[in-house]
Amino acid sequence: MSTDYSVEAPVVAGRLTIAQIEELVAKPMDTKPDKKFFLALTVSGSALLIGAVCLLYTLYYGIGMWGNNQPVGWGFGIVNFVFWVGIGHAGTLISAILFLLRQRWRTGIARFAEAMTIFAVMCAGIFPIIHTGRPWLAGYLTPYPNQHGLWVNFTSPLVWDVFAVSVYFTVSLVFWYTGLIPDFATLRDRTSSKIKKTFYSIFSLGWRHSSRHWLHYEKAYVILAGFATPLVLSVHTIVSFDFAVSIMPGWHTTIFPPYFVAGAIFSGFAMVVTVLVFVRKIFDLQNIITIDHLEKMNKVILATGMMVGYAYGMEFFIAWYSGVQFEQFVFINRAFGPYAWAYWIMVSCNVFFPQFFWFKKIRRSIPAMMIIVLFVNVGMWFERFVIVVTSLHRDFLPSSWGMFTPTLYDAGILLGSFGLFFTLVILFTKALPVVSIAEVKAVADGAQPTHHRGEHHD
Amino acid sequence: MAEDLNGLNNTYPNPPAGEAGYWQSFEELYNDPQFLQSHQDEFKEGVSENFDSSGMSSISRRKFLALLGASAALAGTACSDYRDKGEIIPYNKKPEEITLGKANYYASTCTACPNACGILIKTREGRPIKIDGNPDHPVSKGKICAQGQASIMSLYDPDRLKNPKKKLDRRFVDYNWKSANDEIVFDLMNSGGKEIAIIAHKIVSPTAKKVLDDFASKYPSTKIYSYEQFDNPIRNSAWKKCYGSEEFPAIKWNEAEIILSLDGDFLGESNNKIENARLFSEGRDVMNKKFNRLYVVEGNLTITGMAADYRMRLRPDEHLNFILSLINELNKKGSGIPINMGGYTLENISKQFSLNIETLNALVSDLLKNKGKSIVYAGDHLPEDVHIAVNLLNDILGNKALYNFESAPVSVLPLSASTELNNLVSRMHAGEVAVAIHLNSNPVYHLPIDLAYEKALSKVDTVISLVEVENETSDLSNFVLPINNQLESWGDAKTRTGFYSLQQPVIAPLYDTRQTEAILLSWISGDSSTYDESIYHKYLMSNWEQNIYPVLISKLNFKQFWFNSLHDGIVYSQDKSESVSPFNLASASAIKPAEVSNNFSLHIKESYAVRDGRFANNGWLQELPHPVSKVVWDNYAAISPKTANDFGLRSNDLVEISTGNNSLQIPVFIQPGASDNSITIETGYGRKNGGTVGTGVGFNANTLINSAAILSPWLYSDVKVKKVAGQYKIVTAQTVYAFNEGLTKDLPAKRGIIKEGTVNEYLKNADFLHNEKHELKSVNPFYDYKGVKWGMSVDMNRCLGCGECVVACNVENNIPVVGKDQVDNGREMHWIRIDRYYSGTPEEPNVNNQVMVCQHCDHAPCENVCPVVATTHSPDGLNQMVYNRCVGTRYCSNNCPYKVRRFNYFNFRDHFKNGFQESPVFALLMNPEVTVRSRGVMEKCTFCIQRISDARAEATKDKRDLKGSDVRTACQDACTTNAIQFGDINNEEEEFHTYRNHELGYFLLEELNIRPNVTYIAKLKNTDSETAC
Repeated sequence: MSTDYSVEAPVVAGRLTIAQIEELVAKPMDTKPDKKFFLALTVSGSALLIGAVCLLYTLYYGIGMWGNNQPVGWGFGIVNFVFWVGIGHAGTLISAILFLLRQRWRTGIARFAEAMTIFAVMCAGIFPIIHTGRPWLAGYLTPYPNQHGLWVNFTSPLVWDVFAVSVYFTVSLVFWYTGLIPDFATLRDRTSSKIKKTFYSIFSLGWRHSSRHWLHYEKAYVILAGFATPLVLSVHTIVSFDFAVSIMPGWHTTIFPPYFVAGAIFSGFAMVVTVLVFVRKIFDLQNIITIDHLEKMNKVILATGMMVGYAYGMEFFIAWYSGVQFEQFVFINRAFGPYAWAYWIMVSCNVFFPQFFWFKKIRRSIPAMMIIVLFVNVGMWFERFVIVVTSLHRDFLPSSWGMFTPTLYDAGILLGSFGLFFTLVILFTKALPVVSIAEVKAVADGAQPTHHRGEHHD
Repeated sequence: MAEDLNGLNNTYPNPPAGEAGYWQSFEELYNDPQFLQSHQDEFKEGVSENFDSSGMSSISRRKFLALLGASAALAGTACSDYRDKGEIIPYNKKPEEITLGKANYYASTCTACPNACGILIKTREGRPIKIDGNPDHPVSKGKICAQGQASIMSLYDPDRLKNPKKKLDRRFVDYNWKSANDEIVFDLMNSGGKEIAIIAHKIVSPTAKKVLDDFASKYPSTKIYSYEQFDNPIRNSAWKKCYGSEEFPAIKWNEAEIILSLDGDFLGESNNKIENARLFSEGRDVMNKKFNRLYVVEGNLTITGMAADYRMRLRPDEHLNFILSLINELNKKGSGIPINMGGYTLENISKQFSLNIETLNALVSDLLKNKGKSIVYAGDHLPEDVHIAVNLLNDILGNKALYNFESAPVSVLPLSASTELNNLVSRMHAGEVAVAIHLNSNPVYHLPIDLAYEKALSKVDTVISLVEVENETSDLSNFVLPINNQLESWGDAKTRTGFYSLQQPVIAPLYDTRQTEAILLSWISGDSSTYDESIYHKYLMSNWEQNIYPVLISKLNFKQFWFNSLHDGIVYSQDKSESVSPFNLASASAIKPAEVSNNFSLHIKESYAVRDGRFANNGWLQELPHPVSKVVWDNYAAISPKTANDFGLRSNDLVEISTGNNSLQIPVFIQPGASDNSITIETGYGRKNGGTVGTGVGFNANTLINSAAILSPWLYSDVKVKKVAGQYKIVTAQTVYAFNEGLTKDLPAKRGIIKEGTVNEYLKNADFLHNEKHELKSVNPFYDYKGVKWGMSVDMNRCLGCGECVVACNVENNIPVVGKDQVDNGREMHWIRIDRYYSGTPEEPNVNNQVMVCQHCDHAPCENVCPVVATTHSPDGLNQMVYNRCVGTRYCSNNCPYKVRRFNYFNFRDHFKNGFQESPVFALLMNPEVTVRSRGVMEKCTFCIQRISDARAEATKDKRDLKGSDVRTACQDACTTNAIQFGDINNEEEEFHTYRNHELGYFLLEELNIRPNVTYIAKLKNTDSETAC
């Protein structure tokens, strides 16, 4: 199959008219939730509930309910935090960076990816708070004026985290909401339900699709995109500082910021693909979220996966090259020590399996990509596990070595975070348009004046 | 009245008009009567001045407001989280002795075990909070063992009996003292000539002995038995056979150049270990370049073995062969030993047990070269023949000079021989014993199982147990009487020639308990109403006044003498030890060569932590890591790696061990350095009724002890071992990893954690450790510490790894007990730990111990990562923890390369044993100067900042500068060998300066440039030089 790269492939397939697009996207909001919806909600809600119960126990008795110990002071709490922050990276990348790069194909998936970002950051944000010994004092991490004259420690990466994550969340939320405004207006205009109308009216902020509105909107959107773009890089950079700023061998590595950002995009895209595969099927959006979209994302997964693989290799090289005994030990211990199984899960899931994406067939095959992205999700979780646990469990003094064994509470809270994430995702699919109606309309066939009107190559 | 005066409530008695000429209205001006009337009644009709409240609602405005206020207050208090913290009653009149916030120290004697060390008890506002050694005590010299340190917890043990109990229908019911005493006296009176047996532990108090004698004269059928499960009767009987006197003398270890120990753990387990360790460490003095040389031949790795320069593995039942071979070898070299046990040569034994022949030759030549300056010592458990041979060897080598006869052990009442105890039990079985009185002893647990003491007790008419905490024996008693803790008791002790020591109570009895001797006195009087609290106090004083004071020839009158003695805790006397006759050669010629067994040998030892089980209910001791294996909360059968391999055993596998008819299932633990085909088990565990903490911990190895043992009660040579199904998890406080192969081989040396050398190396080049010099640069400016800056040094030549510092720190700093499961999870809370590193092969490991505390780094990596500045640096160089600010992110702990930080994963006091430690009485145990940490908070060693603050306040009061030597940390105080030093880094005049700047000093992980402040003085092995220095 020859492709004319001078012509952009159509972003929306199936020659959908603009009205059809609107109809298609708004359908879930126009209809009542069906049985499947409630079934899905029950499953995710149960997971959430299990997590909540485990969390309550933890809050009541203490972090001792988890597997954390001396020397492994951080366990699932921080692993999950970094994992979820990483998941949150795809959304902003797709919506902001690809927007600035004028990647028109982003329109079909941007909304959903952004929503996932927000939900993932919500999941992530819970962990730094609940992993502390006294979560009710977590407010101490914010610099607020007080009569004690106490201030936060600006040299601590955990304080940077507080800012990085909260800014990221805020900007992502505003960005997401800004993108939603025209759609809110569309929905407002469509609905006949009074309650919905009120709700949509409030959130559409009086949008009337006027040219002036569009003008302002576009400007604001570009500015916000510009604002969000550095955050994509900074948040995970700062999260990586949690480790890189320490003196622990295996953590104290300059490669961490780019490595973490690549890993975050990698895992974020994998999660977006995982969810979108279902969403496009269930909501009949195959024409808007096309196989081309998925293929493009798979390419990003392949690229970032190799970056991550490069980082794994480079860590080993630098450990050897540095000549530092501690550093060398940590990496050999990772690969061949008691947690070798976790390391090899990580390497195979993150480096080996994505290599199948070199094959176009696999890139475009839903079942194949589903398997690979699930592996990537697992692998990226294990990457954080490997970083956190294997570096800590055997550090400088062999006398203080130990092992980390997660408890059921650890597992329950991890499950609960997935429960929270998917509960929010499921609610989102029924409450808001999962695809940006306005943006997709804009890239649909015939929406824009073009020199290639009607000259398709398919 | 004030209300009247300020005029507000006054209406005008008279209209003002016309008086001053001012008027407000025409009505007023013209004195309109209506107006005047209205002026009079300020309020309208019905609201008069003198209205009758009874006609109104019964709730007045006042009452309503009062009720409103009260209910608001009630609602406020009921809904708030305020818990009643109990009454706080200030001193109305300040007691003369007590200043609030200042500790008082009282000298006393520790009677937790029969060694009777001198102690100083620290009390705060009248409650004892810490026990330290009494520096004036001539034997213990200010040091006490871990058990003594921890015994403060026994005072506040919530399991202590609070009132007498009597068994009725197989159940104990609370009883009162009067009825109990009356009934017991009745039973004693009516024993009908049958025996009254008093079974006690070793009696070291002359006055207590007098009480017992009085008791025996009042009740003539009384017999007094005293036993210790672990003592040195074999050594003493061998000594008697050799020299004719009763007690083996003490040894001047400090004067020995060469020490050979045959399975004798004189540094870790001997009765006299405190003095032994102190004297031994004087011969390990890098400051004065004085080094003894220690050869250890032993069956299992012990504290002494870890300190050895040369260590050889030999199963304990072969030690007779070893010593005879050694004697033969020395004979060959012409040392003229008048016995010859043919057939034993060092070559043979070296081949048979793969002992290094070069080491053996070095030993022989060292012993010959150092005649009169060496000492050979055998373990308490070895058979008599070994001790006789050792005595002979010492005699011939002229080593008698190292026996200390000036301060020799004496016994107030010799321990009962095992035959006496056997007879007692058989008389019990025969129903010839009317009353059995247990004075805080536990023969049901301690005596060999084949005596069936438990059954025998059922044949005794009246069984009485005087105990602090219920035990296996009290469980089978008719009467259980609660006795005072040692800190609530009066007493005296005589353990050595040359001095007496005195015991005084530092707190009134917490419960309705009585002192043992006082109970006996009230029984002697035959009338329980004669008891009063001071009955034994008076008895003690009068005994001293009549019997001891006159002998001491004091210039003071008795009252002065008495109070001075109490103040000091000890009284010097002029008594001498028994004279020693020349060596009796007949004893030596009676030595019979041992039969060699191919089966397993079994050595039953006293636990390093809970001793013979009497400290089993002490959580601090249960959680004290075993000095060698680091196992907590358990005992185990230690076997060598090779034996494990041969029999397909792994650590935690259960085995069944049988000695004759007795057998026990117990997990094995592979102990590097153990001799092959030998098993070592520590006792003191497996208590059936040992209190909340002690019950069911470990395995009762006493069940393996035979009353008719061939070699000794603690040593069995023909033991059968069988692997049985199942596993039992043994928990160590330090992870086990392969130290001899693969990735983890020799890591401590590779990483510069352990630096060591030999004496020779050091004498040739004192600075040999620092041949490579590096300058560590930093981008951060250095803070200029002016004035005092705190630092610590640890002399690894002196450190034995005994763990006394750990317990002292626990007591000083309110460290909770976390339990076996939490230690398994790596959550032990000890602020100080002793890292033990093996190197070499598992069969013949080299051991290093390293005390690890917070290093108080100048560039502390924990500080910059704390998001809330909860850990900070003080201008005197301390790394501080601010508990109130701590959120508990644990980042500091992750970033600590020494992993010395401890996190409260739970409220451990609440978590352990259903809140056992939350028991209100434990609150009294807490050091009030140290915060009791809540859950979710990080903590760590503070360098005893409370002591620093105390010293600073003292210095300020005295208007002088604080000096480094003003402060001693708890671990430093506790260290028997003075391995830990603490002081001011900046003061060049103080002694600490020499430790800080010693040539052998190094910092741990120095290359991280975090600038730690604990100097480790590298260990030197005295191995490669021809002569000991």
